[in-house]
Amino acid sequence: MHISEGVLSPAVLIAGAALTTAGVGIGLRKLETEEIPSMGILSAAFFVASLVHVPAGPASVHLVLNGLLGVILGWKAFPAILVGLSLQALLFQYGGLTTLGVNTLNMALPAIISYYLFGWGIRVGAKRFIFAGTAFAAGASAILVSGVFVGFSLYFTGEAFLPAAKLVVLAHVPVMLLEGGLTAACALFLRRAKPELLEGHYVPKSAM
Amino acid sequence: MCLKARCNPKVPRTRSCNVFMLLAVVCLMFCAGPGWAHKVSIFAWVEGDTVHTQSKFSGGKRPKNSTVVVYDMDGNQLLEGKTNENGEFSFKVPQKTALKVALKASMGHLAEWTIPAEEITGAPESTETSSSEIVVETATPEAAPVTDIKGPAEVQGATSTGLSRREIQELIDKSLDKKLTPIVNMLADSLDRGPRISEVIGGIGYIFGLVGVALYFAARGKRK
Repeated sequence: MHISEGVLSPAVLIAGAALTTAGVGIGLRKLETEEIPSMGILSAAFFVASLVHVPAGPASVHLVLNGLLGVILGWKAFPAILVGLSLQALLFQYGGLTTLGVNTLNMALPAIISYYLFGWGIRVGAKRFIFAGTAFAAGASAILVSGVFVGFSLYFTGEAFLPAAKLVVLAHVPVMLLEGGLTAACALFLRRAKPELLEGHYVPKSAM
Repeated sequence: MCLKARCNPKVPRTRSCNVFMLLAVVCLMFCAGPGWAHKVSIFAWVEGDTVHTQSKFSGGKRPKNSTVVVYDMDGNQLLEGKTNENGEFSFKVPQKTALKVALKASMGHLAEWTIPAEEITGAPESTETSSSEIVVETATPEAAPVTDIKGPAEVQGATSTGLSRREIQELIDKSLDKKLTPIVNMLADSLDRGPRISEVIGGIGYIFGLVGVALYFAARGKRK
């Protein structure tokens, strides 16, 4: 998922950085004080998840967890993923500083898309079956959409879109399934242990 | 203060949950174990007149059928080829200058390795120019003591088996290359080490530090 430095054209890099800035701005505006710690923990989870290597499939891939961040944090996934990716670039040399904008966009926007597509099901009141199903779909689709976005980034730089996107998506099929399962498991756990996290925003005082 | 008051009724539950999530992060960290992922690297070395390159993802997988492009230092493309099943690609030295080898693996991965000019010009070649270089070398004073150390009988023996100085040189180079290959491979392996545990913990520490800073400013804003 991490695009290396020196692969993309400057136009793509600048566009990615601009859109990411906008996304991070929206995320920070929606941020409540009470959500800062959970955002930090999810950001740390995202940071570490990239070290979990999934050996299946044709290429070297790892967990991303962007779907999980999306359904729990909504727009706040943007700053959380930006922090995680910056540290991955600085400490692990994954991706790079110039590609930070594009990489954040490629992972955070799909997270927000799954939040809007499947967030309705991941509510405390939802039936268990629907709850787990939508959580699975959110985790899996975030990876799928990320793969397509990486394909688009390469396409705008001059690579043929279909082969590039097909390769990325195919390589990530095992991760999609795994992340779907993980997202569902995490969401089910949170529903039991800390339901207020799942509402997308902190429940107002009266509801507690 | 007001923040603390609002959270108080929920403290035990929230805290246990946060501890659980923290534990989950730590578990993830240790699961990571041997399979570090997601960086691609290329390593190139010269053996005789051939440049060997070895590439891999930091998960240990080898990029198969990926493009390797060779440039000179001015960025002109000299040749390109595909890696084999083991992520290796070899080519004849195209010109005796420093070379830049770039690996373009799929999915936007790119890695580069520079071969300095000394490494390439130091390599013997079976062409006329390099053999003449070696002849010149034998005439230099540094080479003279070598013949002095060897007894005259040995020198005679060498000539009687019909081995010229150049052939001996080539033989030595060949066996040295053979002996050095495992070391070169080891170097290649050690070059692309995965992230160390200290870096992982450092990164998590940074994130928690950022949370602290954010909470500090949030709390200060509320107090005003």
